[in-house]
Amino acid sequence: MQSLADYIRLYFIIEAQYIKARMQYRADFIISSIGMFFSSLATLGVFWVILESVPDLAGWSLMEMIFIYAFYMIAISPMQILFDHAWNIRFHVREGTFLKYYFRPLNMMFYYMSEMFDLKGLTQLLVGIALLVYASNQLNIDWTFLRLALLLITLFSAALVQISIIVAASCAAFWVIDSYPVLGLAWKLREFSPYPMSIFDGAFRFAFTYLIPIGFVAFYPSQLFLRPEEVSPLIYFSPIVGIGLFTITYWIWTKGVNSYTGTGS
Amino acid sequence: MRSYFPVARATYMIGLVYRFGFLFGIVGNLVYLGVAYYLWKSIYRYSDVIRGLTFNETFIYVALGSAIFILLKTYADWIIHYEIREGAIAMYLTKPIDYQIYALFANFGALLMNLSAITVPTALVMLFVFKVNFVFGPGLFLFPISLLLAFLISFSIDYFVGLIGFYSESVWGLSITKEIIVTVFSGALIPLQFFPDGIQRVLYWLPFQAIYHTPLMMLTRPNQGLDVFLAMILVQLLWAGLLFWLARLFYNQAIKVLRIAGG
Repeated sequence: MQSLADYIRLYFIIEAQYIKARMQYRADFIISSIGMFFSSLATLGVFWVILESVPDLAGWSLMEMIFIYAFYMIAISPMQILFDHAWNIRFHVREGTFLKYYFRPLNMMFYYMSEMFDLKGLTQLLVGIALLVYASNQLNIDWTFLRLALLLITLFSAALVQISIIVAASCAAFWVIDSYPVLGLAWKLREFSPYPMSIFDGAFRFAFTYLIPIGFVAFYPSQLFLRPEEVSPLIYFSPIVGIGLFTITYWIWTKGVNSYTGTGS
Repeated sequence: MRSYFPVARATYMIGLVYRFGFLFGIVGNLVYLGVAYYLWKSIYRYSDVIRGLTFNETFIYVALGSAIFILLKTYADWIIHYEIREGAIAMYLTKPIDYQIYALFANFGALLMNLSAITVPTALVMLFVFKVNFVFGPGLFLFPISLLLAFLISFSIDYFVGLIGFYSESVWGLSITKEIIVTVFSGALIPLQFFPDGIQRVLYWLPFQAIYHTPLMMLTRPNQGLDVFLAMILVQLLWAGLLFWLARLFYNQAIKVLRIAGG
């Protein structure tokens, strides 16, 4: 059980069983998907209402905001769908059930995260893709091969940034048991990533670009497609930001897993 | 009634145990305050008054809206659903207590905790860091009453959704949908004045505006006539009574289908 291909094969086997089990609760799946649909569009609704009263948001039109928002929805989907189990670390740690993850000849993060596959997150992904197609049609974005490749690379990096922030926050459970407050804060920050970073200045802009780089989740990469002429050179670092951040998160996870001693219950 | 006060006190004490969590709650709210400040600053760069509100008024509305949001978010739906699913609700059925009143007081304790830990610090930051000018007027004095009624309405809605747990396996989807409807349509994210006129007219007829919009208007425009505020409070009173009573009816129906597995 070492090669990447083995892991991918294993992942499909695990998720197939998981999805079969979840499908017992069909009504729950439908209601949850509807809930996901509305909750993922809430912030866009706010932008829409605001842009009914003013012509643009820091120079960005409604259609451009929809594009940025669609990019954001797609970029956060891997976190939602593949890493949703991060929210439960605090329960496993408190109840002592986390111990079982030490006993398999598998990568622990892989084994732990594979236990959940968030079906309702697919709604968010689909709505995101639909909105991206719609907005880029309206904005007459010409999808050349190069642009499509850039889109995939930036989406991949953005997804890694988002995954890293949430997983790192959830790792707080290894030290303080109840990681909900830290996760809540990370979750709140996530909601600010489709905001035009150009509205911020000073400390906020610095923090959102360099410290907790939520700017790389949607706004900076979207500029590549919306306004390529005024793009900041920062964006070319986005794969490094994504991979670097994930490496740090993986290091935190390893530290946490090794220092966890159980609560004695 | 007196026997329920210790319940509120107990949840307040539980809150004290998780002091560490409130630190993050405050930080989260401060970040939101900053983001809201920049967002609305950039919106107000074209004109000083939009939809009848100045930047100062909108900022008070939105910033205090987030602080009050934490106050009025009761989690009653999650807790009640959990107690139904785990069978813990049986414990309450064997005691001479009213479950709805019990849940109300338990949430009231959490409200007091959040008030002292998050809302008051946020208001202080607004006063001293963002240097927001609060205006004086009768609205300020009626605000606590309005806030209590808003809490009653918010609780009744959450409690009602929680009771659906008697019928359904999971309440996640419903709770999230409810939460989005309440936050967007109540004015917790954007002042209701900003909505297009047609939608606005509908929203004023729904109970959600009585949760955030009413108390927030008392803070942003406190110097209106007393009759305006009394009318607002009357509307809140009607919604609170109606929803509390509806939730009660629903409980009496739903309790009949309860089955708890032994063990």
